[in-house]
Amino acid sequence: MRLSIPAVAAMLMLAATPSAFAHAYLTKSSPAAGAVVGASTSSMLLIFTEAVQPKFCTVTVTDSAGIPADTGAPQAVPGHGNELSVPVHFSRAGKYTVKWHALSVDTHKTHGTFSFSVNQ
Amino acid sequence: MDNPVWMVLRGLSRGLHLAGYFSAFGAALFGAVIMPVPGLRRLAWGGFAVAVLGGAAWFWLQTADFASARSPSAVLAALPLVAEYTRFGWLTLARLALLLLAVLCAQGRRWRLAAALAGLGVLGESWLGHGAAMTGMEGWFLFACSLAHIGAAAAWLGTLPALALGLCSGVSPMVLAQRYSRLGMLCVAAILVTAFLQYLLLIGRVSAFFNTGYGEAALLKLVLFAALLTLAARNRWRLTPALPASRAALLRAILWETALGVLVLLAAGVLMQLSPPVMAAMAGMAS
Repeated sequence: MRLSIPAVAAMLMLAATPSAFAHAYLTKSSPAAGAVVGASTSSMLLIFTEAVQPKFCTVTVTDSAGIPADTGAPQAVPGHGNELSVPVHFSRAGKYTVKWHALSVDTHKTHGTFSFSVNQ
Repeated sequence: MDNPVWMVLRGLSRGLHLAGYFSAFGAALFGAVIMPVPGLRRLAWGGFAVAVLGGAAWFWLQTADFASARSPSAVLAALPLVAEYTRFGWLTLARLALLLLAVLCAQGRRWRLAAALAGLGVLGESWLGHGAAMTGMEGWFLFACSLAHIGAAAAWLGTLPALALGLCSGVSPMVLAQRYSRLGMLCVAAILVTAFLQYLLLIGRVSAFFNTGYGEAALLKLVLFAALLTLAARNRWRLTPALPASRAALLRAILWETALGVLVLLAAGVLMQLSPPVMAAMAGMAS
């Protein structure tokens, strides 16, 4: 059986690449899930598997009593379509839960949660 | 707006939009590469009307979903935001504007320019697909597959109504069928290869065809596609050699092919609303 160069290249590429993502899932964040950070932390960074549409993404941060922390609207990170920056202000120490809703550029909505702690 | 009924409606309106778009593009392509037959301009306008109708329904439903809107007034308020701040919004409007230009060119019998403009709009749909949203080499590869897949599907399915129109005109059916066969076979080959590559990247395992929503929609699309191929093979190897005696049978078969093609596009529209199995398996891990 003869194989053309493009066919071999495509097979090698498929063999070498990991499985694909096709919705915006959170891969990394700062603060990271489970991290302990100082109260001076003033912004969060959320990194997704796909490019997202900031105008239709929401991020809320609440403490263990359900009281929301001061957060601003999610902002695009220039040059990184799959990242969101969120201004935040913590007034007290404790465990915080982040709830995010993302809209990817391929029109799919995803959501998730993670937690981290703030010390004085 | 998050329930399955709305999701299916979004998919069906997207499929309808694609069917109209493909038909308008197909009319222009037929005029450019096969031959301009009487009625092609009306066909192009008809396709444009369906593309606008399906596109408007899709835009409305998608906006409601994006904004989690629960009333018509909330959707209305969100429409400008979607148009300005989302790739879906501005790309859908730009693609419709491009199709209008293409149909106006077709009206002036500038078939090649019309086909080129509508073809750009057809390919632009890929920019709303999974590959265009993903990062890295894998995203580019999937995006390239999607471009070839949607381009070939539009060239094949989109030209079917024009072929039926040609068979109803006074043009030699043998000449039409022979010219169309070359285009059709090239498109089918491209669809098969790119569908297989997308299966590897987005579905990944045969069992997913039976136990995931995405897999079931893909399987339905596959079954409809197999029926289309069977009809196409009969046309190519049985009815075309028997022309002109088989003209009426060939026309009937092409109308059936067109109807099946619309069903394939409706299934494709729903498929594009769902999360591919490979991703769904990763969702828990990543979030």
